[in-house]
Amino acid sequence: MPVDPLRVAVVCSSNQNRSMEAHNILSKRGFDVRSFGTGTHVKLPGPAPDKPNIYDFKTTYEQMYNDLVRKDKDLYTQNGILHMLERNKRIKMRPERFQSCKDQFDLVVTCEERVYDQVLEDLNSREQETFQPVHVINVDIQDNHEEATLGAFLICELCQCIQHTDDMENEIDELLQEFEEKSHRPFLHTVCFY
Amino acid sequence: MASGDQSKGGTASQYLSTDQDAALDMTTSEKVVELLNQASLISTEEKLVILKQVQELIINKDPSLLDNFLDEIIAFQTDKSIEVRKFVIGFIEEACKRDNELLHRLIANLNMLMRDESVNVVKKAILTLTHLYKVALQCLVRTKSVSDMQEACWDMVTQMKDDVLALLDSDNDGVRTHAIKFTESLIITLSPRTPDSDTPKKHEGDISLDKIPKDHTYIRYDTLSEEGKFALEQLLKFMVHPAISSINLTTALGSLATLARQRPMFMSKVAQAYETLHANLPPTLAKSQVSSVRKNLKLHLVSVLKHPSSVDFHGQISTLLLDLGMSQNEITRCTPATAQPRKRLQHEPFVEGKRIKMETALAEDDEDKEEPAPVITPKPSSSVGTQSSIDLTAEYLLPLLSPENVANLVLISMVYLPEVMPASFQATYTPVESAGTEAQIKHLARLMATQMTSAGLGPGLELCKARDEEVKEEEGQSEISSKDPLIIRKYSAVSLGQAISVLGGTYKSPVTEETPQIKKLPEPILPTTQPKAPGASGRKKVFKLADVVQPFSEVQVEKLINMSVNRILHSEKAIALSGMSHIRMKLLARLVTQFEGGMKDDLMQFILDDMRSRSELAFSLLYHEYNEYLSQQPSGSLDSYEQCLFSLLSGLQEKPEQRDGLFTKLVLEAPVITDSALEVIQRYCEDESRVYLGISTLKELILKRPSRQFQYLNVLLNLSSHEKEKVRSTALGFIKRMYEKEHLKDCVEKFALTYMQFLVHPNPPSLLFGAGEDTEVAASWTEETVRQCLYLYLSLLPLNHRLVHELAAVYTEAIADIKRSVLRVIEQPIRGMGMSSPDLLLLVENCPKGAETLVTRCLHILTDKVPPSPELVERVRDLYHKRVPDVRFLIPVINGLEKNEVIQALPKLIKLNPIVVKEVFNRLLGTQHSEGSSSMSPLSPAELLIALHNIDSSKCDMKSIIKATNLCFGEKNVYTTEVLAVVMQQLMEQTPLPILLMRTVIQSLTMYPRLAGFVMNILARLILKQVWKYPKVWEGFVKCCQRTKPQSYNVLLQLPPSQLASVFERCPEMREPLLQHVHSFTPHQQAHIPSSIMAVLEANIRKQEPEPEPQHPEIMEERQHVSVPVPQEEPPAPAPVAFTEPEPEPEPIPSRREVDEPMEQEETAHAVLEVTPEPASQQMEVAEEATQSSSVTEKTEEPMEESSAMSADVADLPQVVSEDADTDPGTSNVD
Repeated sequence: MPVDPLRVAVVCSSNQNRSMEAHNILSKRGFDVRSFGTGTHVKLPGPAPDKPNIYDFKTTYEQMYNDLVRKDKDLYTQNGILHMLERNKRIKMRPERFQSCKDQFDLVVTCEERVYDQVLEDLNSREQETFQPVHVINVDIQDNHEEATLGAFLICELCQCIQHTDDMENEIDELLQEFEEKSHRPFLHTVCFY
Repeated sequence: MASGDQSKGGTASQYLSTDQDAALDMTTSEKVVELLNQASLISTEEKLVILKQVQELIINKDPSLLDNFLDEIIAFQTDKSIEVRKFVIGFIEEACKRDNELLHRLIANLNMLMRDESVNVVKKAILTLTHLYKVALQCLVRTKSVSDMQEACWDMVTQMKDDVLALLDSDNDGVRTHAIKFTESLIITLSPRTPDSDTPKKHEGDISLDKIPKDHTYIRYDTLSEEGKFALEQLLKFMVHPAISSINLTTALGSLATLARQRPMFMSKVAQAYETLHANLPPTLAKSQVSSVRKNLKLHLVSVLKHPSSVDFHGQISTLLLDLGMSQNEITRCTPATAQPRKRLQHEPFVEGKRIKMETALAEDDEDKEEPAPVITPKPSSSVGTQSSIDLTAEYLLPLLSPENVANLVLISMVYLPEVMPASFQATYTPVESAGTEAQIKHLARLMATQMTSAGLGPGLELCKARDEEVKEEEGQSEISSKDPLIIRKYSAVSLGQAISVLGGTYKSPVTEETPQIKKLPEPILPTTQPKAPGASGRKKVFKLADVVQPFSEVQVEKLINMSVNRILHSEKAIALSGMSHIRMKLLARLVTQFEGGMKDDLMQFILDDMRSRSELAFSLLYHEYNEYLSQQPSGSLDSYEQCLFSLLSGLQEKPEQRDGLFTKLVLEAPVITDSALEVIQRYCEDESRVYLGISTLKELILKRPSRQFQYLNVLLNLSSHEKEKVRSTALGFIKRMYEKEHLKDCVEKFALTYMQFLVHPNPPSLLFGAGEDTEVAASWTEETVRQCLYLYLSLLPLNHRLVHELAAVYTEAIADIKRSVLRVIEQPIRGMGMSSPDLLLLVENCPKGAETLVTRCLHILTDKVPPSPELVERVRDLYHKRVPDVRFLIPVINGLEKNEVIQALPKLIKLNPIVVKEVFNRLLGTQHSEGSSSMSPLSPAELLIALHNIDSSKCDMKSIIKATNLCFGEKNVYTTEVLAVVMQQLMEQTPLPILLMRTVIQSLTMYPRLAGFVMNILARLILKQVWKYPKVWEGFVKCCQRTKPQSYNVLLQLPPSQLASVFERCPEMREPLLQHVHSFTPHQQAHIPSSIMAVLEANIRKQEPEPEPQHPEIMEERQHVSVPVPQEEPPAPAPVAFTEPEPEPEPIPSRREVDEPMEQEETAHAVLEVTPEPASQQMEVAEEATQSSSVTEKTEEPMEESSAMSADVADLPQVVSEDADTDPGTSNVD
């Protein structure tokens, strides 16, 4: 692995399922990875579609876990939410909001188009300073456990490929084209500057 | 870990290994030394960590150390690790930011790193330069007096800036991305910040153009401003590159948004660039890239929209956003509240037209500055000035977009639709909802205008160009950018003048004097102190193209060249569609002419495959070849050109059919016709199917290329003796026209005569058998070769009669075979000349010796159809009498002669060949060609026949005369009963009687039996003329009587007894019938018969039964009496004079033998008739033959048959008369 490891951020809406799944896998593969959500709040499924559990980004995974156990342990065990939170709290303390993070990355992977838009909006609204480029790639992943796992592997493969290129910026375009063909899904891709 | 091989290092490691606290107690300087020593020995990762510590120490903790350790840190720029080198760059940046003075020392190092072989290092260097450029400028602005060092530093920065701009064309995507960002930053720095600039807080203090004093000693405001504008141009140009990558495009889009927000003065350019891009997304983008780019575009548009200065462009931007799928609501939400009321105000003018809006927009710009600046330029022009070319073109297009026009456009463009739907179209297509509404039409107009402008078309663009020039002029006049009115006000004319002079003094001197100082450019700090990286092994090479590329082998080069030319060659259709065919042609022609090799053949083949549609290419090639030749003058060779022309022409010539005049066009437009080309033209002309086109091309050449006229003419002339009839006749036709041109006349004539002169040679020259064979041809002349020599001459003859004398001259020298051929071919031209031609008359008059037959032939030709003119007759008569007494001369003009002349010539004439005689008679009798010339005949038919009878037998043998008369009798139409009656009458009256009289009588009778009565009358009269005194006539008389019994009985009875006896001696069988005839008389009649007659009648009886008949005196009466009824229906030809002429007639009676001859017919008439005349025997023979042949060829075979049949008849007749008559009178037509 090169001296200067790729700094990767994985971003989804609530920094719970998709971004955390990818975070999990990527960090196991040795990437310098962080995960974020872009939503104003952290939302978890509730007893009915119109009654989600809503937390702010300050709430830790532990607190959420406890809260849900308290509310309806069976339900949240059955739909895998507790299991997910269990995993999450092993990775980090609490969800992070992308917009609040001032650290710089080389690559930001988003998990749905809306998130991608928000990331772009945020990055573009920041005042440019260093002109250090950051590539933003969107990989559409449905928000469920199975898709999250599949998506995480895809993201991981993508990152590995990018990591192994000699000159990422020169080759990323082609690489993405290949991946699009292989995975049969379109990737949005752009570059922003810090 | 560090090992103590150095004194310092030893202590350092000791400290480090012993105690952490001890290290903390060390001075910062010692610590740095310690760290640096470690760093030179350890692995990259650790090295980086340590170096970062050092950086932290000397930059942030104790900047005073910076200077001391600078060299040591910089030494790492040659480290093998990319990361370390990148670190060095980062360090340079930090160091320079900390202490701007360091820039002077470090800039050269940065410059070196910018040429690093690793792109990542290069990118980092660009990034750093982005910041340091500002630093450098800031630093320069701050200092009052600029040192040489600073100047050199700035020059280098400027140079590096240019280098980075050039990197917009780099091969590496990432490098380009960084270059774009650099450009963005550069533009912002090099443009003035204005109050409406949306500057990020962190960049508040950044230098920008407005902070640069105009009186600075070294840097010039204007120059920087120009550089900024140039950078913007570059960026905009970069953006419209059709093959731009999606990342570059995204980056550029972002940069534009930044520019628009931070420098609203560029708003219109940015808006236009967005618009153009939206309408022309690069076709290379993949589908997902298209959506990414569109998303970006949307994002940036929104960010621009939010900027208050974009208010003028809200219309455009909203349209774009709508197209990008944003709803009107969202757009409104993004529009800044402050702009809202304004926008509403502007809304209506906007709908009405751009111009009004633009004007108000300008006013607004001024409002923003609170105080409208005094604008020097007149307002209208500047208002037009703000309108982009797209606006103008859109305005121009709007009224043109009628439904009909649009429908046509759609139909036309159907043809150009690609096979597969491009990703960008698929992504951007939204159904047109408001088709046909004014708004939509306006939108369409704008879209089209965008396309047109980016393609470099449309009235708007032209206007803008003109305007730009105008603006430049204005700027040149005022020296002040009107975009910065605040600054304008600061300067009085005087101070401005001063500034200029000061600037001029300081600025110009470096340029002129600095040449030697250029060495002073900052030198990089070379890592001499770096222990671990000694020598060049660690040095990074400066990038050179030559190092990374290898020259191709010659074979490869050739292959590549051929491949590329072929690609151009075969992209015919594609290029034609794009309308750039002319460039393709030019390119091909130039390439092919400049390079040797097989390309030429390929191209030629390509052209010839479809010559018609590729003729332009052919011409282009040809001209290029010629140009090439000209450019190498005077030593250049035409070979290549010649080869090209030759191939083209041959190709055309070999193509089966070429109806259009491409060949002609090529020949006529070729700059030079080479020899080989001329050969092709000749070959073309020799093709029967194209001879006309070929020769008319040749004609054009002759007339329009005077310099080599005669060479071309020679080709044409050579064709005139071509073996193919069509080629020849076409050539001759054209030559005749050439002949009319004064300057060509001589040449043509000379050629014709030269050819004719060949005829005097014993053998035909090899020339006639094709130019290729120069071997001596021993072949003999043939009809064909003779003709070859004469074609041209003969076609010229009617045009120039003088030439006829040359022919005569040649003719006399030529051999007989040639003469014969000549006589055959001259008919047409001679007839064309006509008998009034003075030259022809002169020829007849002179008649060179040996040319008699020629002259005769000419005479025949001339008089064949028309009677001879008096002049001609005169000439011929003259010739005949004075020089060549050959009667045959007279034949053609015989009808022009006097009667006595003809009669004089008759004996000679009838001795000629029977066919000739026949012709003579035809002429005389007017039976020749029914041309109605009989009236011209000097002799009437009767006169002719009489003349024949009167020919002196000493001058002509009887056989010939008989034959001649037979000819007359052959013409039944002419010699009717009446004519013959006249003839007989006249002959009978002559004294002495012509020998052939009775023959003619008998023949007439045979032809017309009803003449019998008349003949009886004749016979009776002959008795009076004592016919028995002419033995031959008498013989005929008896025969006649014999044939005409019983009518002749009365005539016989009139004979004196002794003559009657003589009759009976000759034909004893007559007596008995005659006796019986007498017995049948009435007694009274019988009484008239003299007894002497009766005695003769009964002589035999008397011998057997002696009973003599009484001879009555009445017999005479009776005879008188009887004679009256005998001619029952006889013609009125009594001529009583005959009776009064008793005529004893001594007359030299021709010897019996002589007379006998004609009468006794021999079978071999023809053979004997062939009398050879003495003079000019040989020639005359020829002439006769010629006559014969002409009559054969000219008339159909009929006359020939007729004449032969005729002669047969004639031969038979005498036989009938002389012998058959007695034996079998019934069988012949006597009955």
